[in-house]
Order: sequence, then structure tokens, then C-alpha cells
Amino acid sequence: MIARILDRRQRPRLRRETPAALKWAPACNRMDTTMSEHPVVGAPERILLPRRLRAPEVVSLLGDIRRRQGTGPLVLDFREVEEFDSSTLALLSYVRNGPEGLSPVNVVGALARAEESFARKRADGAPAARPEAGGWAGRFFRSVADRFLGSIRSVGLFLTMFGDEVYHIGVYLRKRKGVYPGEIWNQMFFMGYQSFPIVCLLLFLVGVTISITSAEQLQLFGADIYIADIIGYAMLRELVPLMTGVILAGKVGAAITAELASMTVLEEVDALKTMGLIPEKFLMVPRLLAITLVVPLLVAMADVAGIFGGMLVAQVTFGMTPMAFLDQMVNTVDWIDFAWGLIKTVVFGWAVVVGAGYKGLTVGRSAEEVGRATTESVVLSVTLIIVIDCIFAFVIY
Amino acid sequence: MDIISARGLAVGYGTAEVLRDLSFVIPEGLISVVLGVSGSGKSTLLKTLAGLLPPLEGGFEFSGAPVDYASEASLGALYRRIGVLYQGGALLNGLTLFENIALPIRMHFPEMPEEMVKDMVHNGLAQVDMADAAAKYPAELSGGMRKRGALARALVLDPDVVFCDEPSSGLDPITSSLLDDLLLRLKDTFGMTLVVVTHELRSIERVADRVLVLNAGRLHYAGDAAGLSASGDPFIRTFFLKKDSQDDA
Repeated sequence: MIARILDRRQRPRLRRETPAALKWAPACNRMDTTMSEHPVVGAPERILLPRRLRAPEVVSLLGDIRRRQGTGPLVLDFREVEEFDSSTLALLSYVRNGPEGLSPVNVVGALARAEESFARKRADGAPAARPEAGGWAGRFFRSVADRFLGSIRSVGLFLTMFGDEVYHIGVYLRKRKGVYPGEIWNQMFFMGYQSFPIVCLLLFLVGVTISITSAEQLQLFGADIYIADIIGYAMLRELVPLMTGVILAGKVGAAITAELASMTVLEEVDALKTMGLIPEKFLMVPRLLAITLVVPLLVAMADVAGIFGGMLVAQVTFGMTPMAFLDQMVNTVDWIDFAWGLIKTVVFGWAVVVGAGYKGLTVGRSAEEVGRATTESVVLSVTLIIVIDCIFAFVIY
Repeated sequence: MDIISARGLAVGYGTAEVLRDLSFVIPEGLISVVLGVSGSGKSTLLKTLAGLLPPLEGGFEFSGAPVDYASEASLGALYRRIGVLYQGGALLNGLTLFENIALPIRMHFPEMPEEMVKDMVHNGLAQVDMADAAAKYPAELSGGMRKRGALARALVLDPDVVFCDEPSSGLDPITSSLLDDLLLRLKDTFGMTLVVVTHELRSIERVADRVLVLNAGRLHYAGDAAGLSASGDPFIRTFFLKKDSQDDA
């Protein structure tokens, strides 16, 4: 019985306060207009809002208003509202400026003062209204143009940084100043020694996969022996450089961007500048020299791993001995294939390091941007690798 | 004598002007405090004076020579004569405290014998009472220790001016007071010029010789610290009223 009484208290029914005024019932989450004792056709319906009108009640009231839209004008009576918050003020603003047929009355007391104060503050701090020319089409084309110009600017900055780095390396090799002693070795350890296992493992698996895929087709034509040519040529010229570049982008590039971006956010890059150092030299030259020195070793080991993978499958599938495989391979591939693969990978490595450095050093000042820059760095590096690979394909073949 | 002299300086980011029409001087051998509410442009002004952010208009002279942001030589000359203590310390996390402090020496004087580098670093650490923390990495130091370590790095090449960006921020009152003592000692012992950005009123009261007050994008007051406390200006009074209420608490 008590529970039923409480339940009834918590769910007040709408009631008419004045000939055209209803008390709104927030808890029941609906407005029962059938409660109107004397409905007046065409007259605005008046809803007396409760004493407490905070976010939960406001959300509930808005639901009721939406359901009632189109049934006639609605007047919200705020005279009894004593407990309110910023959502109440937002509701008032919505009622005053929102859909037609809604109007507030009796906004009095503390609520009126709060509304006036907020309106004044917002007017003081409001930016000057800018005319939005062209509607959605104008906004769309402006956005496209902004992105296009932004991309052009980014490409310009990236190329400038690339040129700067070449210059800094030249200066460093001549004067041996401006780079922290031992940093090149640290970077070589990280980029080479710590990347070697993953590069070799992945290239071994790629060799196995390519070999298995090719073996099936070659067997159809009785051309088993050519598996050695395919593996050797594909590995040296294309797969090792491309895969090594992508692994470097994911492992080395992301780490460089995250590190440099964190340093930028933590003002360490500014500190380097005010110590009279050039961050683009101090931070980038060791990394670029390290990748240049490490890539040939990585490529050589990755070539061996990839060819070994292919050779293993050839032996298992065709019973081809390793010596026969290597004999056949060296008949087709030449040292120039290895050299092109090496040159390509060094260029990919440079693209990864400069791209990662560019993203890291041009980051904003928040931790959120560090994560974004790191992701963008990997995307940029992989894109650069594929574009450069495509250019190489035109040049080499 | 004035070591820094700014005329018609406007500073900001991109096209957004944060402060405009600033004309002031920083006298040599004193502590000048840049004061203002949060977001008033104190750190932005400091970045411009430290050669990190080009002015949007006007300019300033350092030791009588105009600083040209377009010239690497001019900026290089400025960097050689200043030290900066950043808000978070900005020690390089990959290096020990010793290596951090040795960094400017090793970079600018690679031919200097390692024994001398060690000596200079240990002198710097002793100045900030951190002689036993040389082998620690920044991550192993407390906030106050990181700031003192960063101050040692800023001082290691004996700059003419040290800029301190909110040295007390994030520190408890005792550590903050120790840092203030350190700044005073640098001024009194070595005659160093310090430019301190802060809004800590207790700190201002203790260390400031001169005060620059920034408000609403302009220089609101520039003068002696004593003149500031006697000022009847409503904005300045607001600061001091806050201070009084803090003292009462």
C-alpha cells in the first residue's frame, strides 16, 4: 500500500493549473493532454514546470515536447522552477530560439538572473559572426580547398626538411659537431639489431609463401626448375626491399615519431633550441646515418632468409637440392639485382626516417596529437615507400 | 643598464595576436617578474624573448644588439647568452642528469677535456644542491629535483640572462620556497639577470625587483615591485586581495 502511494507521488499526473495550464509530469515521461479539463481549441497549451528542473527532467521534457510537436502551440511556464542547472538554461535558449510554437513565460527569480548573466557572458565572449557564403556546397568546396592547400604545404615542408637533412649530414660529416656522441651507435642498435629478428622471420615466411604459391602453377607446366628464378628475382628486386621498408615504417618510423613528438610536447625540443642546438640536426642526423649504415646488413640478411624459405619449399615440394636451387638462381639473378634492392631499401629507410621526423617535430602541444602523429607517420611512410617503389619500377624496368 | 629592451612588441601564434604594443626594459643583475592571470600571454612573451617565437610586430634588443629572427647568426648569439628553465624542466629523458647538464658543454665545446666537463657539471649540480643525483635519469627525480636539475643545465654555460617559466608550478610551498632561495642566491652571488614568469604571489613578493603585469593583451604595469604593492589600480589590487585572502587562510 505504502509502495503504491510512493509510486503515485513519484509519478504526478498532469493537471490544469489555470484554464489552459498543465503541470508537467517528468517522471512519467509523457504528457497526458487528455487530463485537460477544458481544452480550448486553437489556444496555446500551457505547461507548468516543476520546482526541480535539472538535466534528467529537461531530457524527459524535451522528449515530450518532440512527441507533441505539430499538435499546436505550447507555452512553458517556469514560474515554479527553483532548482535548475545549465541544462535548464540551454532549454530556455532552445525554447526561445528553437522550433516555432514553443514559448516560455514567467521566467523569474534566480532563473531569470542566471539566464541574463549567461547571455551577457556569451555575448562578451562570442566571436564576430562570419558570413557563411555558399551554403553546404560552399563549405564542402572550401573544406576540399583547405585540405588540398594543406597537403601542398605539408609536401613543401617535408621536402624542405629532406633538403635540410641532406645539408646537416654534409655539415656533420665535415665538422663532426652538433650530434650527441654515441647516439649513432644507439640508433644502429635499435634499428638494426632489434629489427633483425622480425625482418628475417617475416621475409623467411614470405619466401615460403611465394614458393608454395608458385610451385602449384609451375608443376602444371612441368617448369619446376624455374622456382629458383622466381624466388631469387622477386626477393632481391621487390619483396625484400618492400617488406623491409614496411617493417621499418611500422617499427622504426612509429618509434621515432612517438619519441620526437613527446619531446616536442614536453618542450625538450625547445630546450635544445635555446641551448643553441639545431633539433633537426641533433635528433635526425644520427637516425639517418644509422639507417643508412644498417639497411645494407638488414637487406643482406633478409635476402638470405627469404631465399632460404623458398629453397626449403622447393626441396620439400620438388625434391630440388639446395645446390641445384642456387645454381639455377645465379643463372638468372645478378649482383645488380641485389644492388637495386639495396638502393631501394636505403631510399625507403630515408623516407621512413624523414617522414617520421617530420611528423614528430611538427606535432601540436597535446598528448592526443602524439598518438595521431604516430599513426599518420606510419601511413605517410608506407605511402612514400609504395610511391617511391613505383617510381623505381619505371626507372629500372 | 638594461640587458633587454623591447619596443612596440606584438607576440602571438600565426595570425592570432596574444600581446600587443609592449615596450619595456629588463635591467641587468635584477630579478624581473612577468605577472598575469592564466592565459594572459606570459609564457608566449617568454618564448619570444628566448628566441623561440618570432614577434608579430616590433622587436627587442639584447645587450644593445637587435635580435633578428630571420638571421641564424643573431639567434645563435642570443642562445649563447641565455638559459631557460622550462615549466616541466624539459630534461632529455634518454640521458642521465649528468649527461643532460653536460650536453650544452659537449655540444658547444667538443674539444673540452672530459675531466673539465665533469668538473663543470658537478659545480652546476652543487649550486642546486643535487650533487648526489648525477647518475639518475629524469624519470627517477621528483618534480622539484627535475626543475633544479634543469636550472643547473640552464646555468652551466654561465648565461647572462636566465628565463624561468613558472618555476613554482606543481611544487609544494616548501620546495617552491627553496627554488626561490636558489634564484635569489644566483642574483646575489653571481649578479645574474633573471626573468621569472609566474602568478605565485608569495614568490613575487620574495624575489621580484621589477614587475611586468600583463592584462587583456597589453602591458598593464611595468615598474618596481614596491610600487606594485602600493598601486591603487583595480586589476593589481585584485591580485593583492587574492594574496591577502591566501595569507588569512
